[in-house]
Amino acid sequence: MSMSLLSICQFPEPKSSHVHGQCFTPSKLILRWGQRCSMIRCCKREVGKRTKTEKNYYELLGVYVDSESQQIKEAYRKLQKKYHPDVAGQKGHEYTLMLNEAYKVLMREDLRRKYDVSIGQVRRNFSKNRSGLGYSSWNGPLRSQALFVDENACIGCRDCVHHASNTFTMDEALGCARVKVQYGDDEQKIEVSIDSCPVNCIYWVESEELPVLEFLIKPQPNEGYGVFGGGWERPKNVFVAAKSFNKQQEQQATNENQHTNASHEEETPAQAEARANASKKIEMERFSRLWNWAREAIRMN
Amino acid sequence: MAEPAYTVASDSENTEEEKSSSTFPEIAIGIDIGTSQCSVAVWNGSQVELLKNTRNQKMMRSYVTFKDEVPSGGVSNQLSHEHELLSGAAIFNMKRLIGRVDTDPVVHASRSLPFLVQTMDIGVRPFIAALVNNVWRSTTPEEALAIFLVELRAMAGIQLKRPVRNVVLTIPVSFGRFQLTRIERACAMAGLHVLRLMPEPTAVALLYAQQQQQTAHDNMGSGSEKIGLIFNMGAGYCDVAVTATAGGVSQIRALAGTTIGGEDLLQNMMHHLLPNAETLFSTHGISEIKAIGLLRVATQDAIHKLSFQASVQIDVDLGNGSKINKVLDRQEFEEVNKKVFEKCESLIIQCLHDAKIEVEDVNDVIAVGGCSYIPKVKDLVLNVCKRQELYKGMNPLEAAVSGAALEGAVASGISDPFGNLDLLTIQVTPLAIGIRADGGKFVPIIARNTTMPARKEMTFTTVHDNQTEALIIVYEGEGQQNAEENHLLGYFKIVGIPSAPKGVPEISVCLDIDASNVLRVYASAKHRGPHQKAMPSMEVRMPTVDDGHGWCAEALHRAYGSTSDLVTVQKKI
Repeated sequence: MSMSLLSICQFPEPKSSHVHGQCFTPSKLILRWGQRCSMIRCCKREVGKRTKTEKNYYELLGVYVDSESQQIKEAYRKLQKKYHPDVAGQKGHEYTLMLNEAYKVLMREDLRRKYDVSIGQVRRNFSKNRSGLGYSSWNGPLRSQALFVDENACIGCRDCVHHASNTFTMDEALGCARVKVQYGDDEQKIEVSIDSCPVNCIYWVESEELPVLEFLIKPQPNEGYGVFGGGWERPKNVFVAAKSFNKQQEQQATNENQHTNASHEEETPAQAEARANASKKIEMERFSRLWNWAREAIRMN
Repeated sequence: MAEPAYTVASDSENTEEEKSSSTFPEIAIGIDIGTSQCSVAVWNGSQVELLKNTRNQKMMRSYVTFKDEVPSGGVSNQLSHEHELLSGAAIFNMKRLIGRVDTDPVVHASRSLPFLVQTMDIGVRPFIAALVNNVWRSTTPEEALAIFLVELRAMAGIQLKRPVRNVVLTIPVSFGRFQLTRIERACAMAGLHVLRLMPEPTAVALLYAQQQQQTAHDNMGSGSEKIGLIFNMGAGYCDVAVTATAGGVSQIRALAGTTIGGEDLLQNMMHHLLPNAETLFSTHGISEIKAIGLLRVATQDAIHKLSFQASVQIDVDLGNGSKINKVLDRQEFEEVNKKVFEKCESLIIQCLHDAKIEVEDVNDVIAVGGCSYIPKVKDLVLNVCKRQELYKGMNPLEAAVSGAALEGAVASGISDPFGNLDLLTIQVTPLAIGIRADGGKFVPIIARNTTMPARKEMTFTTVHDNQTEALIIVYEGEGQQNAEENHLLGYFKIVGIPSAPKGVPEISVCLDIDASNVLRVYASAKHRGPHQKAMPSMEVRMPTVDDGHGWCAEALHRAYGSTSDLVTVQKKI
């Protein structure tokens, strides 16, 4: 029975997210509660129409929409240490309430899925949200094309960083280049750097696709087996992966909108085989390239 | 005898103190009032320090004697002999009696104590009295506790060379809000301000969090998450908590607690040794009290010895012609108390289940409290947790009070340059809180083990057409079926519900628990039309009921029947 009421009282907290950081006396609290009454009502009826200025649970906890529960936990604890009433006094009460609610929902897979549906646009607008999840920032106006480094192919020669140091940066940990600022240098420098790339791994892509590509190229922790541990994994072909990711997102959005439980489109055996072959081929190519490069490097020494 | 709390210090001392209090916030002390023993600790600027009384004791017996004109407690008083405690003049086990009504089985069991506990079985505070010069002088558990706390406060004040006002107290998990208000009242009588009431195992969890953080620092590690299971069994209560800790934050996952402890072991053994003990206990003559006292001391002694040796010889002359000569071994002891140990096991299992944690995922198993010395208790904890050994880094008797002192420093806003106070406990509610609805059922609004601070709202509606009033009756507890199985916290009436067919008006009830565990209930009838004048919503701080809360619900039911009932709103699809 209490569960049946969940829908009514589940997500009222983010409504009042604007209040954090202020000091209130208990009497103000009461006043505020009275206001909240009416707010909760509109909130629960217009869950879908939530305006963008509000903080959703992910923003509240400062985590990505796709964060693992471990990351959410860490973020939650960090914020609790700052805002818990034991530390921040009574003024932390409201904010901690929101944190607790957000944490509870995001830590439970079923509640999280429901919540994702209710905030909908976060994942649907994923690819349109230019500043949201990508790495690179924009210098100047948004343009239709953006630079993207396929880090799978990059050999870490640093030529692009040398030619356009405001645009490209070197990820020393992964040993590959990536775009730091879109159009950080003038077009000529950028052209030179693209041409200078020995493996042609710098691409002009549609700027709408950029966040997804940049997101997918980020290595994701891989589940480990045995003593070798997890390691990191990224899609073999980021462009193909981005396409299927977008497709999946769209499908998920439409599915969830219609409240149907239709599962994702199944791959036909032929498709699966083709995909497997393609990825094998890409893998082989990459390997031989690496091998050649290594041989050359040894010879040079 | 304790120093009076109002001793006037010399002028120079006074000004010095004012100066220091203006630059440093007062550090709240931690107090662990146990059923049998009590201790005080404080953060001394670099670590937790346990305070000692004038006789250099860290652990002080929790009792108050009414022998002389002025009552004195176990903090300063020197017992000439253990038997003095059992002559009828001393009140102890206050923690088991406080805030309980005389229909409570725990109070009934306390009738075997060597002082007067009278029960009328009508749901009011039991009558307790101490024997002073052959007269039963009445007192209350709160009063006895307050007398004891006054002594503690004076002792801490002398040790710390400053007046002590703020305290963090540890409490059993199973304490309801009514009992908590009684503890707070006892503290207020003793001139103490309660900053936090911490369930005992969560205090231990905080100490564990600090230790883990220090280990992580020493290993230069990032400090990954550690899951700890804390089993705390003292003389009066048995509590279990599961905590997840990382980076100094102790996040309580679940709590479970019940009223079983060393006292039950003791009473079971007394009944075992003297089968007709009940008749002895029921009459409260001078010689009977002496006999109870002798039996109690002998049994207690035997149980202590059994923790270290396999069998023990009991030789006691109860003075009224009955003698006990018996060799008691561990096996017999464990057999007599089988039910108590089974209850402990089920408590651990329940807590793990509530925390949604598999026993294999627990990193450390911590057993504290006086009963953790009993081999059987150690065994059962290890067995249930499938472990070979317990966590070693803690003194079982000092862990709770040390945790309370840490919380006292943290909640007083003290910071430590070395990061030793970079701590936080995220508490959960030990009991569900809800209202009576759906025809006398208990509808929980805040479930058990909800993270605090918590706020939950639920919408209810009327059961009659044109019902303009509704009774909000707030309960705390676990009884799901019948609201009366739970503890009544308070009640109030919502008036001015707009006239409408049944099921149409919306009455929202919101429960808010803040970090210091204060419960506020907000309720209001919602108005849809703009032409209707809105009624102010209600805010009620609970619990509001005092003595005799057992009857209130009955009386309300008699007076109102079901005319002001509520039902939950079903989900609209």
